[in-house]
Amino acid sequence: MKKLLFLLMAVFTIFVLAACTANENAGKSDETENKGNEPGDSKDVENGKVLKLNNGTEPTSLDPSIGFDAVSWDPLNNLMEGLTRLDSEHKAAEGVAEKWDISEDGLTYTFQIRENAKWSNGDPVVAKDFEYAWKYMLNPDTASPAAFLAYFIKGAEDYNSGDGSVDDVMVTAKDEKTLEVVLEQPTGFFLDVLTNPAFFPINHKVAEENPNWHAEADTFVGNGPFKLDSWKHDEEMVFVKNEHYWDVDSVKLDKVHFAMVNDSNTQYQMFQSGELDTASIPPELSDELINGDNVFIGPYGGLEFYRFNLTMEPFQNKKIRQAFSLAVNREDIAKYVVKNGVEPAYGFVSPGYTSPTGTDFREKNGDLVSYDPEKAKQLLEEGMKEEGYNELPPITLSYNTNDTNKAVAEALQNMFMDNLGVEVTLENQEWNVFSEAQKALELQFSRSSFINDYNDPVNFLESFITDSYMNRTGFSSKEYDELITKGKTETNEEKRWEALYEAERMLADEMIAIPIRYYNTVVLEADGVEGILRHPVGYFDLKYADKK
Amino acid sequence: MLRYILKRLLIMILTLWIIITLTFVLMTSIPGSPFTSDQTSNETVQQNLEKHYNLDKPKYMQYLLYLKSIVTLDFGPSIKQPNQTVNDLLGRGFPISFELGIVTVIVAVISGITLGVLAALRHNGIIDYLAMGIAVLGISIPNFILATLLIQKLAVDWEIFPVATWASPMHMVLPVLALATGPMAIIARLTRSTMLEVLTQDYIKMARAKGLAPWKIIIKHALRNALMPVITIMGTLLAGILTGTFVIEQIFAIPGMGKYFVESINHRDYPVIMGTTVFYSAFLIIMLFLVDIAYGFVDPRIKVTKKEGE
Repeated sequence: MKKLLFLLMAVFTIFVLAACTANENAGKSDETENKGNEPGDSKDVENGKVLKLNNGTEPTSLDPSIGFDAVSWDPLNNLMEGLTRLDSEHKAAEGVAEKWDISEDGLTYTFQIRENAKWSNGDPVVAKDFEYAWKYMLNPDTASPAAFLAYFIKGAEDYNSGDGSVDDVMVTAKDEKTLEVVLEQPTGFFLDVLTNPAFFPINHKVAEENPNWHAEADTFVGNGPFKLDSWKHDEEMVFVKNEHYWDVDSVKLDKVHFAMVNDSNTQYQMFQSGELDTASIPPELSDELINGDNVFIGPYGGLEFYRFNLTMEPFQNKKIRQAFSLAVNREDIAKYVVKNGVEPAYGFVSPGYTSPTGTDFREKNGDLVSYDPEKAKQLLEEGMKEEGYNELPPITLSYNTNDTNKAVAEALQNMFMDNLGVEVTLENQEWNVFSEAQKALELQFSRSSFINDYNDPVNFLESFITDSYMNRTGFSSKEYDELITKGKTETNEEKRWEALYEAERMLADEMIAIPIRYYNTVVLEADGVEGILRHPVGYFDLKYADKK
Repeated sequence: MLRYILKRLLIMILTLWIIITLTFVLMTSIPGSPFTSDQTSNETVQQNLEKHYNLDKPKYMQYLLYLKSIVTLDFGPSIKQPNQTVNDLLGRGFPISFELGIVTVIVAVISGITLGVLAALRHNGIIDYLAMGIAVLGISIPNFILATLLIQKLAVDWEIFPVATWASPMHMVLPVLALATGPMAIIARLTRSTMLEVLTQDYIKMARAKGLAPWKIIIKHALRNALMPVITIMGTLLAGILTGTFVIEQIFAIPGMGKYFVESINHRDYPVIMGTTVFYSAFLIIMLFLVDIAYGFVDPRIKVTKKEGE
């Protein structure tokens, strides 16, 4: 009987405890509920314009030197501003810097920071904030994944690799509002590189006092169109208009909610029920929704391609590589396999890069690869003869495990069978395993993707220079390396682009990778949502966004 | 009793150490590094990253560092979210998963036992078939399908509940329903079958013959014995549900800790892998221990410790 009593008491205690936790949370939730419901209420008008977006996941970090991915860039680009900011034409325009001088030799940049540029805590944005931020990014102890972007600056690479001193990094605050940067070599696209969040300033007074200033909303200090009002980790971020922003009059929204919903169906269902103002299209619903009126489709600087491993048979042979490329019907892959409005890739550099003469890089350099089964067969035969093959060595095509990748790989497998009569074995691996093997040149023929970090064709083309960390093909050509050096350092912009055109043509002729399709951005937007600038280089800008 | 608990405690620590060591060996032998991403990178940057997270040190040093972090209960920063320590992640995620879990367990246990008892009492009747029909559905429909279905019907079409996120008790209803159905079905089936067995026992007949009130017989005499198997599965069930579930938390955008189990492995986020493993195994071991103790209370025939002189 005693034991029974004990049991009853235990059960009772558990229930009371459970009830208590429920009550406690109920109290807490009530507050948050009120908060959360505001935007959906009729109080909307009173509260001003509120945009409800989805960031997918928690940002990796809002430390501009650490958060080197899209989930960090999208919030950062709206909370902070660099010297330059991408305009509606996706070109680097004045940001915090009002104007700049570039020396004759293209090496020294002198930026003049706006007098009225302020941090969200009211401090003025000073040149020292940039110097501090960039040197912090380059400090090897910071371990910034973005640091290599700053290697254009003199002394940066040495400092970052531990060989040099911070004092030799040529970023100097000349006075309160003047920043001088000396580059290693002339870099025609340096102003574009500066739009990347990695180059955003850090309020040095705040950061010196609290190195973890970026981890919570109440310590976060930005200088962008919005400021971080609240941040419930893994749950939600709320931005409000930053009254200290120098161009606050252009900002139309009062508030932006960022949910963190990482399920493509759920975020679509939230969009349907009005809990989100924008959403992506779940793959299963692509056919149904892609042609709707409320769909935004734009380029996204990126390419899906397949790398040949030039150190493995039979891909040491150029003609065999070309034959494989000619056997690929990219149109069909884009239209029927990947769908979602993507464009087939007939070149390597994705559309959206405007040349100094005003034409698009892609348009100017035209189609560099094509679909031609007849020629493919012929080249394969010739290539096999050159190598003395009676039979092609076995070929394995690898991709990282993912439904779309699988579908594309299977389509390719069919095309190689139909057009070349070659049987290709498919193999899929988990991303990290795959990535490691690809880097070590252990895969013969493997899937790849490239997403641009900054707005210049050299960003992609540079990958294939000899011994580049991103090369992963075994390709090495002096001529190509020279073209890329020219494409990076030539001070005459037109000549620089000429070199890049030639480099891309060479890549296609050598056929060290098969371009498949370009990435794009597909977003469902609710009625009344306007003016969200979606740049092909990855992050969006809410500065001019509006909700009617 | 005290000696028994101490002995168990020692075994628990030993078990934990074996789990930690095994996890470390497995974790570091999967190919791939935490720093492979879609983004462009370069050699120097990778080296700096490895150095920053002590991954350039020899394996045994890394192992000792992990052991140290476990003993001091400070797992350091996550690699995927460098601003957050593993303790932050778990400290934030666990209460939410726990809250969702405890409600789910209560719903599952009460409804499961009720369904099971009803089914047993009306053996081969309509209620039995209905209850077991529900149970079979509950077991066979995966919770993520149920979740999507519930959202589509109850949130999008009929607009009774919010679709997702974690803000109010209303937000809790759908995930609890989706999560509780499976365990409820299991408990219902278990309760029914043991209940049927118990009801044919002599002592029940005896109790009936004595003219005890039927509800008293069921609750006091039959159910208490029928609960044994339910208690057996409660340990694993509690540990599983209270520490969060990846799929349901992902679908409903609940900021619990379930996702860290899966994502930390995908990202090779070593400190988080160790943190979640230690946390989960410690939790599970304690739950199993509590279950063993609970046996003793529910069933006097089971002795957790041998009484002296017996």
